[in-house]
Amino acid sequence: MSENSSKKAIFEREFSIVATLVVGAGALLLSFPLFFEEAVGEIDWITIPMVAFPILASIILLALASQQPRGMKENMAFPVKAASLGFSLFILAISSALFFGWLGSIDWTTLKINEYNMNHEYTWINSLGISWHVGLDGLSFPMLWLTTLIIPITMITTWEENSGWYHHPLLLLMEGALIGVFVALDLFMFYVFWELTLIPMFFLILKWGGKDRRYAAQKFFLYTFTASVIMLLGIVTLYFLQDPSQYLIDRGVLTGRTFSMIDMTNNAQMAANDGSVWLGESMQNALFLMLMLGFLVKLPAVPFHTWLPDAHVQAPTSGSMVLAGVMLKMGAYGMFRLPLTLFPHALAEYQYLLLAIGMISLVYGSIVCLGQTNLKRMVAYSSVSHMGIVILGIASMQPLGFAGAIFMMFAHGIISPMLFSVCGSFKHHYHTLEIGSTRGLAKASPFLGGYMMFSWMASLGLPLLAGFVAEITVLVAVWMTFGWWVLLPALVLVITAGYYLWSMQRTIFEGSGDVVLPEGMAAEDARDLSPWENIGNLLMALLIVLFGVLPWIIWDMMSAYANAHFYFNMGGLLNLVAGGA
Amino acid sequence: MTSHVDEGSQAVWQQLFSDSQTLSALMPEFVMLMGIIALIVVPNLGKAMIRLPLTKIRIPWFFGGQRFKTTSDPRIPAIISIATLLIATILALASLMGNATRWILYSGESTEMIVLLKVDGFARVFEILFFGALMLAAVATVSRMPASKPSKNLSVKALINNRRQVDFHILLLMSGLGMAIVALAQDLFMLFLGLELASLAIYVLVAFHKESKAGTEGGVKYFIVGATASAIGLYGMSLLYIWHGNLQISSHVFSADSGVIVIQGLDRAFENADSLAYIALGMMLVGFGFKVSAVPFHFAAPDAYSGASSPIAGVLATASKAMGFIGLMRVLLLISLPEGDGSAAWLICLATLSVITMTWGNLAALGSDNPKRMLAYSSVAHAGYMMAALTAVGAWRWGHISAPEEAATWVVTAIMFHLVVLVTFKLGAFLVLALLELDGGASRSGSLSGLARRDPVIAASMFIFMMALAGVPPLAGFMSKFMLIAGIVNVAAGDAGSLMSSGGITAFWDLHWVWWLALAVFINSAISLFYYLRIGVIMFFEEAESDRRKPLPRAWFLRLAIWSCALGTFAFGVAGDHLIILCNNAAESFFALS
Repeated sequence: MSENSSKKAIFEREFSIVATLVVGAGALLLSFPLFFEEAVGEIDWITIPMVAFPILASIILLALASQQPRGMKENMAFPVKAASLGFSLFILAISSALFFGWLGSIDWTTLKINEYNMNHEYTWINSLGISWHVGLDGLSFPMLWLTTLIIPITMITTWEENSGWYHHPLLLLMEGALIGVFVALDLFMFYVFWELTLIPMFFLILKWGGKDRRYAAQKFFLYTFTASVIMLLGIVTLYFLQDPSQYLIDRGVLTGRTFSMIDMTNNAQMAANDGSVWLGESMQNALFLMLMLGFLVKLPAVPFHTWLPDAHVQAPTSGSMVLAGVMLKMGAYGMFRLPLTLFPHALAEYQYLLLAIGMISLVYGSIVCLGQTNLKRMVAYSSVSHMGIVILGIASMQPLGFAGAIFMMFAHGIISPMLFSVCGSFKHHYHTLEIGSTRGLAKASPFLGGYMMFSWMASLGLPLLAGFVAEITVLVAVWMTFGWWVLLPALVLVITAGYYLWSMQRTIFEGSGDVVLPEGMAAEDARDLSPWENIGNLLMALLIVLFGVLPWIIWDMMSAYANAHFYFNMGGLLNLVAGGA
Repeated sequence: MTSHVDEGSQAVWQQLFSDSQTLSALMPEFVMLMGIIALIVVPNLGKAMIRLPLTKIRIPWFFGGQRFKTTSDPRIPAIISIATLLIATILALASLMGNATRWILYSGESTEMIVLLKVDGFARVFEILFFGALMLAAVATVSRMPASKPSKNLSVKALINNRRQVDFHILLLMSGLGMAIVALAQDLFMLFLGLELASLAIYVLVAFHKESKAGTEGGVKYFIVGATASAIGLYGMSLLYIWHGNLQISSHVFSADSGVIVIQGLDRAFENADSLAYIALGMMLVGFGFKVSAVPFHFAAPDAYSGASSPIAGVLATASKAMGFIGLMRVLLLISLPEGDGSAAWLICLATLSVITMTWGNLAALGSDNPKRMLAYSSVAHAGYMMAALTAVGAWRWGHISAPEEAATWVVTAIMFHLVVLVTFKLGAFLVLALLELDGGASRSGSLSGLARRDPVIAASMFIFMMALAGVPPLAGFMSKFMLIAGIVNVAAGDAGSLMSSGGITAFWDLHWVWWLALAVFINSAISLFYYLRIGVIMFFEEAESDRRKPLPRAWFLRLAIWSCALGTFAFGVAGDHLIILCNNAAESFFALS
């Protein structure tokens, strides 16, 4: 009797919590269109809910679940998970609406440099000239869309993992922070969100990671934090190198300066048009190096890459998917947004350094891949190698190279989550990540084998898949600038194909018709993908095909960004370099 | 700035009570005094009667006898002290909003007149800081007492508890009064008096847990080293007195009935300093250096922190350190900053010290297993960060900087902001340790293990405090470290922006070398992250020790204090605008010469 009543009490409690969540979400969904109608015609503010909703939702869910008595918390896992997925789908709906023009016509392809859609500014910390300044252009919008896409897909793919009550709120927090990074046009705000992304990822690795998760989580945090404080020093120095304006002092800004990227870009551009070097050569070089350090570590490029394999191997599937899919792109995004835009002269100066870093990342990443026995570690190094292609695209200093690099960011952003998702499923179903421990996967688990093969094909750059578009454009751009040097990256792509095909042969096929399972695993335990995993992988596979066959859907805005950026900013610079020489 | 003195010669106590404005200006300090008196009186009230001689009439006398139930409650002292500090904080805040500047003068028999105290925004912000920190510590101590009320027949234990609590809170309020005097002082000797009043009370508070070896040892060490440092500082002041003739910090001009009175203070006195003045300066730096626990005067700090109860350790790390920084700022920025084109005499010395301090603090914290010692060393490191910012001001006269006052004001703003928000996250971290002490000790990092499972909210708060200490956005610790860095870079960059826009070439190497101090601060924050993260890892990763798996005690007062600290850490990080403006106004009043 008493057991029954306690069960009833638990049920009532659970019911009340679910009801609260549903009512809350409903109220939010209802209020949103009202809000929208009020400001119809102006959707500048649209990025605010995109940043704020996931963060608020995550805090509310965490607070709600943590206050449950012991024993109840486990029951909270499902409502929290469902609510998180609902929130992330809601955000995806908003960003897709921006993409496909459901919220009025938004033109992404005619933006000039330093022009932004949804450009909106609120004062935040006025005394320091910090504002909530957001905007989207052909560079940041694909990244934003990618973020909103990858988070729900991650949730769907890992739906069946029993990960407790605070896994999904952390993913939501991550989403809000990442969107914050991509929409920020204020350097301070950018930095705040940049660092905020570390905290959920730290916990994702620490709580749900593999055996050495403690080491990996700390290494990840320390590496990226160290690099970003140096970047912050660059930002602060840049801030104080501006001339204080009386207008701002009169408005209560104590220092008379702002962190506005738009103003800084304007100054840089004006200087380039004048044929002079903004801030002077040595200052530009120093600031360029300081900022680049932060971004190269995040990317990661070769001398600074060692945190990535550890973090990836130890991270849970969801963590790896978000880390590889979106977090690495923060580095490349930051490069485009800050050093490349503000310090074009330094870019020209360090072009060959970047070329070297890109080449080394590409070559080293793929060669190390060949020697890996751990599937996840191999995929992690392939990320390093692919990020090398992004750097090569930048180093080419061609509009085509820039656009290709941005497309590489996007393509890698949908391919690498799929790679990690199949690795995760493999680990989940076969309890190992060793290449060669299992043979004949295609027979034992045909769906898993199929998706694995598809994602590897996409990663090695098979034509008609998204990765190919990016690789070929970057290679053409490298050829345009450096001529026959292009043979090196082109040959490395063969190595890439090599390690993937070799692992494919050893894992998915081979075994002369017989399935070889890892030691101590019974034949009936070899299961295939669950429906949730199937849905997630299918979505990613469809996207990869979509952007491989019809790249112009998103290529146009990237190309427009790269062209505008190149001709309006660097054009003047290149004249200067040519004229001066 | 001139102000009028009505009657030139008055004893200070006459002045206080003859002038209602002066009285109201010092209201927070009077409230503190009242609080101390109330603490002495109230717990002694009882049913005592006194018999009129030669009669049988007994009239109630109230002092002594069997005490009333309320007055013998062990919580009464804490309540009195919290109320006192709360009222004092509110009064100080009201006076800060009123923005009144008031000098408290003293004139002896001679014609020499000196200014003892000055009530201004700078002093008020620091008073609010001190009172707030002490209030949080007082709130935290409520939960440290036995939760049940004493029975009707008072047990000896309850009596002792009450008496001990009274002692504790009297000392707490006395240290608060001393700190307030330090903030107000306009004369180095007055500053020293306040410093000693606060320090002596704190020495006893550190050793307050006299039953434990660690407490007594820490207290005695702290006392001996502290007394030596104070003595050296006092000797330095006496040398300065010989050299200059008075110990006034700034110069004043007053118009009195008998004509204009000019007080020639020490400000900018170091323009024509000789070796005596430099020796005096060095000795004073030793005195204040101990208070802020700068290397090499920090050796007693870790023992004192780990011996003291956690709330008191928190006070040491916040309020007591702020007191030291008031002294350092007054001496370095007002007295020994030259007017001419050169940089300050102490620039290289202090730059070296600050870098050594932050590095030493961080490296030592890396190797300490005791969370309290770890926080003590992290407090040393934080002293280094603030000293680095102070040092940068010493370069303010180099080359061409059009508004050096602004650069200096900016640094003082940053230091004040840092000290204020330090109360939220440093004291907060110590309060979490206090909660663990209730549960059976917090002197090993293992005592934090499994905290996330035992109490998620407290663990999350501790993680917030750790991240704030490391300087991770969007928390207050990031904002304050950011402002310190901005202060340094501002001085280093100087007028580079104007030069560049006007076509003058400024290269990276034209930045003043204090820019590298900012880099040192950042590299050190990266090192420090390692041990702050370790606390997080221990809380969220490791299993709780076998005898400590039960939920933490429900100490609501303590939890309230922790939550308010966590909230403050977050709020000052994302919405610190008002506080920054407040600190900026205060910093301007700091430099406002009379």
